[in-house]
Amino acid sequence: MRLETFSYLPKLSEAQLAQQIRSILERHLVVGIEYSSKPDPYDHYWTMWKLPLFDTDDPATVLTELDSCRQENPDAYIKINGYDPVRQGQVVSFVASQPQRST
Amino acid sequence: MFQAGVHEYREIYWTPGYQPRDTDVLAAFRLIPQPEVAPEEAAAAVAAESSTATWTTVWTDRLTTLERYQARAYDIEPVPGRPDQYLAYVAYPLELFEEGSVTSMMASITGNVFGFKAIRALRLEDLRIPVALVKTFQGPPTGIQVERDRLNKYGRPLLGATLKPKLGLSPRNYGRACFELLRGGLDFTKDDENITSQPFMRWGDRYQFVMEAVHKAEQETGERKGHYLNVTAPDCEQMLERAEFARQLGSPIVMHDYLVGGFSAHTTLSRWCRRNGMLLHVHRALHAVVDRQKDHGIHFRVLAKWLRLAGGDHLHTGTVVGKLEGDRASTLGVVDLLREDFVPADRSRGIYFDQEWASLPTVLPAASGGIHVWHIPALVEIFGDDAVLQFGGGSAGHPQGSRAGATANRVALEACVQARNEGRDLTAEGPQVLKQAASRSPELAAALDTWRDIRFDFEAVDTLDVM
Repeated sequence: MRLETFSYLPKLSEAQLAQQIRSILERHLVVGIEYSSKPDPYDHYWTMWKLPLFDTDDPATVLTELDSCRQENPDAYIKINGYDPVRQGQVVSFVASQPQRST
Repeated sequence: MFQAGVHEYREIYWTPGYQPRDTDVLAAFRLIPQPEVAPEEAAAAVAAESSTATWTTVWTDRLTTLERYQARAYDIEPVPGRPDQYLAYVAYPLELFEEGSVTSMMASITGNVFGFKAIRALRLEDLRIPVALVKTFQGPPTGIQVERDRLNKYGRPLLGATLKPKLGLSPRNYGRACFELLRGGLDFTKDDENITSQPFMRWGDRYQFVMEAVHKAEQETGERKGHYLNVTAPDCEQMLERAEFARQLGSPIVMHDYLVGGFSAHTTLSRWCRRNGMLLHVHRALHAVVDRQKDHGIHFRVLAKWLRLAGGDHLHTGTVVGKLEGDRASTLGVVDLLREDFVPADRSRGIYFDQEWASLPTVLPAASGGIHVWHIPALVEIFGDDAVLQFGGGSAGHPQGSRAGATANRVALEACVQARNEGRDLTAEGPQVLKQAASRSPELAAALDTWRDIRFDFEAVDTLDVM
């Protein structure tokens, strides 16, 4: 199974993940975290992990939230989204964590 | 009193210093007058013949107020380095055009005047469509953002491929070719512009096999997939019949050759797509007949603006780097006209007028024609995320077949997006990024090997003038 953007690349390391998050923040997008145990391409509404992180500008904060989400939902696929309030749409989304993906 | 006879056009239609109104349609024409015709007279003739005048005065002129309806040639400038050529600017009052009709604009502005004897050649370079007229159109049925939301694809260009050979496959084999590409990692496959309903593959058979392939690839990959089912047909009834069958089979997208089918048919289809929640991919077959020669015809940026008004979710624009014509600055100007809400005049990109789109939905440019993995870093740089990159030969030509070819393109694309987001310069580091990614992807490694050193270095025919 594939999960859209970056799913054809080797698993992103924590450092690479932080770089992707930094690029979202540098574009002044709002980061959001969503998760689901049954990813389905027709499902537009995964569960939100808290509210979007509106005032965050530090990738470390996002990584901490990602980790908390993972701790509470060990069987979940977890997405990181970037939302553009000017365009009024999501412009970035990729699965940053999934159960038992080693490579 | 009615004075019969023939006057010079410039007496009425050449109005230097006229201040265009915000509601005027403005046109920039490249003009080559006959040697004995003064440029002002030629420009006035263009304004006259594309609005209220004929060759002689007529008594019925006195039944109306021509000043209200006449177009005005209001400026003229020589083209540097081309002593026989001029740029003529013409303003048309809003009343001359029917609401929501590209066909009406074409019939007026690009009607008889292009065959007018006093003019050796004429080219419509750009058209400013006033907001008042833009707001009478609904434009693209879906728009870029809703397409992304519907398909759940974000933060990267989309990937497509035209099935090859473009003619001659049976419906079942065609569906196989489609399945392999989608299964390998592409988002879309595509009918070619000349696939309609030939004896070797009738449209209904093609749609059924192709949609089986689309659904199966979705199930196996967990990603949304689509195939641009070409609904270009002999008449509008059959066009809509095909579109309806595509919808019943669960296709997210149909395709149309908008210039071949014509703007009335295309607008009908675009409205149908909006009503039915269907994406509309638009091919520009025929365009080079109209837009390639510098001296005569209609520039593609005008054809692209008309498409955004009439409606389409994807439009082929040229690749800059592939096998088909397309000057870089000019192509980027067209891409902006499809994707932005406001595009300022910029002669270095061939854009003569500010264009406001007043929130009209946006169109994804489709880059297609002779592109392969080595081009991906440049394509990501040139187009950014909001584009469909189409690798037909560049997928199915892979030594291990379509599936591996598709995977190679997907891996290369994602590696480039990742690198770009990390702040790396794809122009300088592109080849290195690809080689790094290939060390973990045998499919990409084979693709890089196959298409090393394949380039299409020919000068563009339709270049911009240095102004």
